[in-house]
Amino acid sequence: MMQESAQRAIEIDSVTKVFEAVGMEPVIAVQDVSISIEAGEFVALLGPSGCGKSTILRMIGDLTAPTRGEVRVHGKSARQAREDHDYGMVFQEAALFDWRTTARNIELPLKILGMDRSERAMRVQEMLELISLTDFANHYPWQLSGGMQQRVAIARALSVRPKLLLMDEPLGALDEMNREHLQNEFLDVWTKTRTTTVLVTHSISEAVFLANRIFIMSPRPGRVVKVIMSPLPYPRTAETRRDPQFFEVESEVREALHGVIRDKALDV
Amino acid sequence: MSTTRRLMARSVRTLSPAIAGVIFIVLWEVLILIFDVQKFLLPAPSAIAEAFGSKWSTILQVSWVTIQAVLLGMLLGTGGGILVAYLVSKNESVSGPLLVIATALNCAPIIALAPIANNWFGLTSIISKASIAGLMVFFPVLVNCTRGLMLIQPLHRDVMTSYASSDNELVRYVRIPNALPYLFSALRLGASLSVIGVIVAEYFGGPVKALGVFIGYEAALSRFDSAWAGIIVASAMGLSLLGIVGLIERLTMPSARNSS
Repeated sequence: MMQESAQRAIEIDSVTKVFEAVGMEPVIAVQDVSISIEAGEFVALLGPSGCGKSTILRMIGDLTAPTRGEVRVHGKSARQAREDHDYGMVFQEAALFDWRTTARNIELPLKILGMDRSERAMRVQEMLELISLTDFANHYPWQLSGGMQQRVAIARALSVRPKLLLMDEPLGALDEMNREHLQNEFLDVWTKTRTTTVLVTHSISEAVFLANRIFIMSPRPGRVVKVIMSPLPYPRTAETRRDPQFFEVESEVREALHGVIRDKALDV
Repeated sequence: MSTTRRLMARSVRTLSPAIAGVIFIVLWEVLILIFDVQKFLLPAPSAIAEAFGSKWSTILQVSWVTIQAVLLGMLLGTGGGILVAYLVSKNESVSGPLLVIATALNCAPIIALAPIANNWFGLTSIISKASIAGLMVFFPVLVNCTRGLMLIQPLHRDVMTSYASSDNELVRYVRIPNALPYLFSALRLGASLSVIGVIVAEYFGGPVKALGVFIGYEAALSRFDSAWAGIIVASAMGLSLLGIVGLIERLTMPSARNSS
């Protein structure tokens, strides 16, 4: 236990990502970013669109390779971590498989992991309870609401008990009411599992409510301009949103973000 | 109250095509009577029914020969199409150009090959008919299946990558289920194409006891009501095949939205 906490969960070491396409100017999506994340943290990458926050997440998850620099996860390369099934990923769209029921969607990563049938069934049941969708086990994705689909996507990502949960604007497609509701559920799940989580978002309140550390990013080229620690204690509840301290952190984050955008405006 | 209304609505929905069909046949009969249409132009439904009544054993016999060729063609075309689509989808650099060629060949009138196929495999061979039907089914199945196997959602690919899944697992869990709706829309097309292929190929000559030969022969002898009886059986053949495809589709894809 002590050893594991001594080792960083994620170490991003001066990573740069340049996208090149034929006949186009190369785009520097991420420039010289270094981030280190401890095990058990809930970290948010926050910034306006085009700041490369999703690209950073994809590099952590080994869906995109950095142009320069290195990503290490629990001391391993990102690829090794992916092959060791260390990741659970959730995207902006639920990306469920339309031809599989809720239960069978959650089961798929377990099947690929090579878990046997009875163990899979138990784990699926456990996940369904975690997201309170036991009654919808045999529904197909198109029979679920957008919020339910996203909960299934989270259960699917968590089913393998990953060491890391990577979420790319998981609530971006939902309305405000559903967002807040699901944020509460996220925290519930996180409090139970304490899975190291990286969340990409462009919502200030979402980042403040969920994360213990918030990385503020600037666009083109994407850089981390400020790191804000949130002193709000866990477990956080709906009450937390009315806490004066919540507003304090929120306005600190907002100011930092506006600084980013103002500077950009002056550049042009 | 609302359930009875819904029941009524449903029975209207299922009965209305039947009612329309009856009206169509009655109108056909009446119009032919009124305008005294000659038999070689269009016989009345009653005359066709009469011809069917007197020749039904022959018609069923020739239909059996034809339907065997239709089914064999369907099987060959579907099997070949799926196999080639799978091999092609394994190699993306091959699949692009090959799809272009297949689409072009798909536009060619394959039925024009019928006399040549008769030469290749023999006039009375079932293969000469099934090969034409098979080719007509093969191209839509190939084109659609390749599309279905290749055009998977980028996010689905990312999800599978995050599971560190193998290529075979990607095929099994994503590409094949993704291709099924594409396959079935090709098969619905193929159901009518294979009947057309076999019947027309038989017009160019075939075993004496074949539906296409029967229709051609009766028409040549000016027995138009018998010829029409044969044509109607051929249509029924295509419709039944379509129904079977629909049934298999429902059984293999229980998740489809329109399975209500």
